[in-house]
Amino acid sequence: MKQERFVAMHVREWDNLQSWLSALERQPRRTLRQEQSLDFPSAYRRLCHHLALARGRGYSHEVTDRLQRLVQQGHLVLYRPPAPRWHVTATFLVAGFPRLVRSQWRCILAAAVLFYVPALVTLALMLLRPELAHTVFTSAQLADFEKMYDPSNPHIGRSSGTDLQMFGFYVMNNVGIAFRTFASGLLFGVGAVYVLGANGVLIGGVAGHLTAIGYGGPFWRFVVAHSAFELSALVIAGGAGLRLGMTLLAPGRQRRGPALVAAGWIGAQLALGAFAMLLVAAFIEAYWSSIAALSDAVKFGSGALLWMLVLGWLWRGGRARSHGA
Amino acid sequence: MIDTIREIETPEGISLRLRAAGALPRAQAWTLDMLVRLLVLFIAAIPLSLFGVGGNGLVLLLTFALMWAYPVFCEVWWHGQTPGKRALGLRVVNADGTPVTWLPSVVRNLLRVVDILPGVYGVGLVSTLVDPYARRLGDIVAGTLVIHASELPAGEQMPAMDAIALPVVLAVDEQAALVEFAERAGQLTLQRQEELANLLTPLTGLRDTAAIRRLVAQANWLLGRA
Repeated sequence: MKQERFVAMHVREWDNLQSWLSALERQPRRTLRQEQSLDFPSAYRRLCHHLALARGRGYSHEVTDRLQRLVQQGHLVLYRPPAPRWHVTATFLVAGFPRLVRSQWRCILAAAVLFYVPALVTLALMLLRPELAHTVFTSAQLADFEKMYDPSNPHIGRSSGTDLQMFGFYVMNNVGIAFRTFASGLLFGVGAVYVLGANGVLIGGVAGHLTAIGYGGPFWRFVVAHSAFELSALVIAGGAGLRLGMTLLAPGRQRRGPALVAAGWIGAQLALGAFAMLLVAAFIEAYWSSIAALSDAVKFGSGALLWMLVLGWLWRGGRARSHGA
Repeated sequence: MIDTIREIETPEGISLRLRAAGALPRAQAWTLDMLVRLLVLFIAAIPLSLFGVGGNGLVLLLTFALMWAYPVFCEVWWHGQTPGKRALGLRVVNADGTPVTWLPSVVRNLLRVVDILPGVYGVGLVSTLVDPYARRLGDIVAGTLVIHASELPAGEQMPAMDAIALPVVLAVDEQAALVEFAERAGQLTLQRQEELANLLTPLTGLRDTAAIRRLVAQANWLLGRA
């Protein structure tokens, strides 16, 4: 068939499709309700057929370029991502995320060791030799910590600011740290190891120093509740980073490219879960942990409850549905 | 490395041609996005400052959202385009040419942390220069690609002329070459057109301008014009 005849036969169909596609770009909802949108998948496949014919018959660029452009536009519409659904998010948080954490337990255990060992060692060293605090922190930092956890402070854990301000600060700061821990794992895992270790030394150092000078009470009362979410999330984000770095070093029986894509997919889900945990942690830290007037029993009781909740969720969450869904 | 076009075969058996975008337009898009974000933050900070100290918390939350969530939400909701990318005619797509989805977008934007590392996008720049499709590390791990979404300018149309039948039957690729010559002749100098047309003297039996006219007429016949 000659080109002119081919164009004359199909040009109306192409024009229709083109105008529908440009209407879709302007008013997506309204256009999708039109009757024509029901016909779109088959119209698109006919268009692909026309392009293949035009290519095979060596038609001029005038025709093939136009069809190619239309096909490319149509491809984006036909294969667009599905609309997000809330129940997918909920299922992920309740069941999918703990399952993912358990399936990546090696990396996460390694991250936990890299974080808790430096923390506990620093804590023990600070208790045994309190003067070491001055080698880890500057005196301005020490003064700041001491002011925050002074037993006479009505709002423990902060030197100034309201609950809302601190919530914003905790989200910005802690989630940023978790995301960076994950991402810097791509540098052969070195970044994640560094961030985990440095935070371990920092947190262990503060805890040890404050306990050594007798401010341990307010400090532990402050951190016991939100640390369940905060430290677990940091360790999980670190584990995701380690996984990324390990995949780069030892991709196993895969090429590095596909192996990295798979690790990135898992890592992003872990990072998103850690993000959700850190939002909860920031909320607890800003609105609950800072209340100084509660008794020790309430403080430590709620802390223990939250720790059991987090660990139980990560340990058992989604287990019943592991074969279904 | 010079040819940045990535051909992807779709389930329909058609190949999509994706034109990978290099470092320069992407840097421009990023700069624009940065300006947009700073502007939003600046404008929002004015009413938020009325809330006093608590307003600071809201400003911090907004900063967080602009820093981490803005690129992800823009890319997923606006078919792979942040405002900066839209202005530059760029688009983020998955490796199979479909619009970018949530997880790949999260990965590529979180891994900016690595790409941005020494100074301003040092790692990312090296990666875009080395990779055949100009992907930065975040794109490689996410399995995404930044492409030029704007359309290429349409080529010249073939000048219409009274059709003259070809004296012999040409193979399909020979026909295509003849049609392309007729389409592109307008972009060439007259001397170059004559030089090319004279190669086909055995077919046309003519030389120079007459040969050009004859070839265009025959191309018109190939397309089936009267």
